[in-house]
Amino acid sequence: MRNVLAIAAAVVADAVRRKVLYLVGVFAAILSVMVPQLPSYGVGVAAAVFREISLALVFVAALVLTLSLAANRVPAEVERRTVYSVLSKRVHRWQYMAGTWLGILAVAGVAVAAFTLVTQGVALVRYGDPMWRLWQGSFGIWLEMGALAAFAIGVSALAGPVVVVTASLAFLFAAHSRQALLGRDPHGVLALLYPSFDTFNVITPVAHGTGIGAAYALTMLAAFAAWSGLLLLAGSAAFTIRDL
Amino acid sequence: MGEERLAIEVSGARKVYRARVGGPKTVVHDVSLRVAEGSIHGLLGPNGAGKTTTLKMLIGLVRPTSGTFRVEGRDSTRPEGRIRLGFLPEQPYFPMQLTATEALRLYGRLVGLSRAELRTTSERLLALVGLEGRGHEALSKFSRGMLQRLGVAQALLGDPRVIVLDEPASGLDPIGQRDMRNLMLALRDEGRTVLLSSHQLSEVEAVCDRVTIVNGGRVAAEGHIDDLLNVAGHSSIRARGLPEALPAELAALVEDVATSGGAWIFSVRDASVRRTVDLIDDAGGTVVAVNPKRDSLEDYFARMLASPKGEGGSAREVA
Repeated sequence: MRNVLAIAAAVVADAVRRKVLYLVGVFAAILSVMVPQLPSYGVGVAAAVFREISLALVFVAALVLTLSLAANRVPAEVERRTVYSVLSKRVHRWQYMAGTWLGILAVAGVAVAAFTLVTQGVALVRYGDPMWRLWQGSFGIWLEMGALAAFAIGVSALAGPVVVVTASLAFLFAAHSRQALLGRDPHGVLALLYPSFDTFNVITPVAHGTGIGAAYALTMLAAFAAWSGLLLLAGSAAFTIRDL
Repeated sequence: MGEERLAIEVSGARKVYRARVGGPKTVVHDVSLRVAEGSIHGLLGPNGAGKTTTLKMLIGLVRPTSGTFRVEGRDSTRPEGRIRLGFLPEQPYFPMQLTATEALRLYGRLVGLSRAELRTTSERLLALVGLEGRGHEALSKFSRGMLQRLGVAQALLGDPRVIVLDEPASGLDPIGQRDMRNLMLALRDEGRTVLLSSHQLSEVEAVCDRVTIVNGGRVAAEGHIDDLLNVAGHSSIRARGLPEALPAELAALVEDVATSGGAWIFSVRDASVRRTVDLIDDAGGTVVAVNPKRDSLEDYFARMLASPKGEGGSAREVA
């Protein structure tokens, strides 16, 4: 675990030095510009639209951040050969992959939390309501980004950044299109194996409903753990057989 | 190598890359290495000989097609087997946004150093490689030579008993190369084992106890450096004060002749040494030194590579 944490800490430190968290500032600026443009719905409706747009923006910002980190980290370390000094020590390749994922998960978590705080600040100024429910949506977004990061890191064990980003976006699309592609009541092996990230999509109940309960949050956590574990396992296996 | 304990033992290393085009490519056919504990062992060979691939297999960076790789008795292709191993890659690269101290602390954590150990070890190693006082400078401002020195420092983290150095003098100025040689000798004096892969034959000749020469993915020669370089049955005689035109009998006796700054260097058969010394004396010259004739490593290397045997024939083992 010590090796995993050391590698994760390096990923976080690298992200901080590369100023990727400046994305928070960009996001805040976009939000500040967009909110005054919202149409004047009735009381309550405007707040719901605000929540939906805010969470959509958090999702997009987190997606850009996660993919920019996850798609590039392993290929860049292999290409620059910085990985030699890590893997020549008593470090398993799965530890390297898990540490990289954990670091990206941490950075994404900090960023999503910061995005949410900015959103809350704007909500408080605009509507006089901090909208604590937004954290439920942000939690789902963070977990989804974690699972997506595991996929991207796994693909990056064998491919370059362009392939990783393309594959990750395709995977994300497919994972949100299960019902559209397989129908409402799918059967067979495909129904079992087909990935779905719909569990993480709680924007509608958070923006327009009463939010999610603790039981559903646990379901999201279980889906996150299962997907991340499975994808990291596959990625680690691919990286283990790779010649560097 | 007799009863010496082995620090590194590579047997039958083989690596075949499966290319999409042109079929499988064998880059290492059969390389075996035996490195005695507490020695400096050179691994030599032209570009593409398979040196770096062999080292990468030893370190676990490349999966061997076959062969066994042991460092102090442990399988070094597995992380647990590299506990006592330090590695300097060829042209080491670091995350350039880090400072030297931060880089050493990152790698130090991976070899299990505590926070307190990281602090003291980083300072000690930076001083050892000539980077004292540079620990807080960003690596982006380091020269290639300084990065090379830092690479050596990271290889020494965790107090390894066996250190593998791939082209350690690469990018170093003459003073840096001298420091590197001295560092390798100091490591050996501490009882550590150094496996050195280098193109710099003078460096290898200066520090290595034994060498293995690899060519075409096979071991072409292996042995003690003196035994490889001494030319059997010949001696080298150095003399001064001889006339420009050598006496006929002397000229007929000597083989290679070289002159430099008034000094003459003759290569003669061992059986002719006494007669040659007498003839030099008769001609009014002074014998300065008589030594077993020794090739330079450059000459030996070039000759070996030019011969059919050097292109992948059976290995020559001496001593």
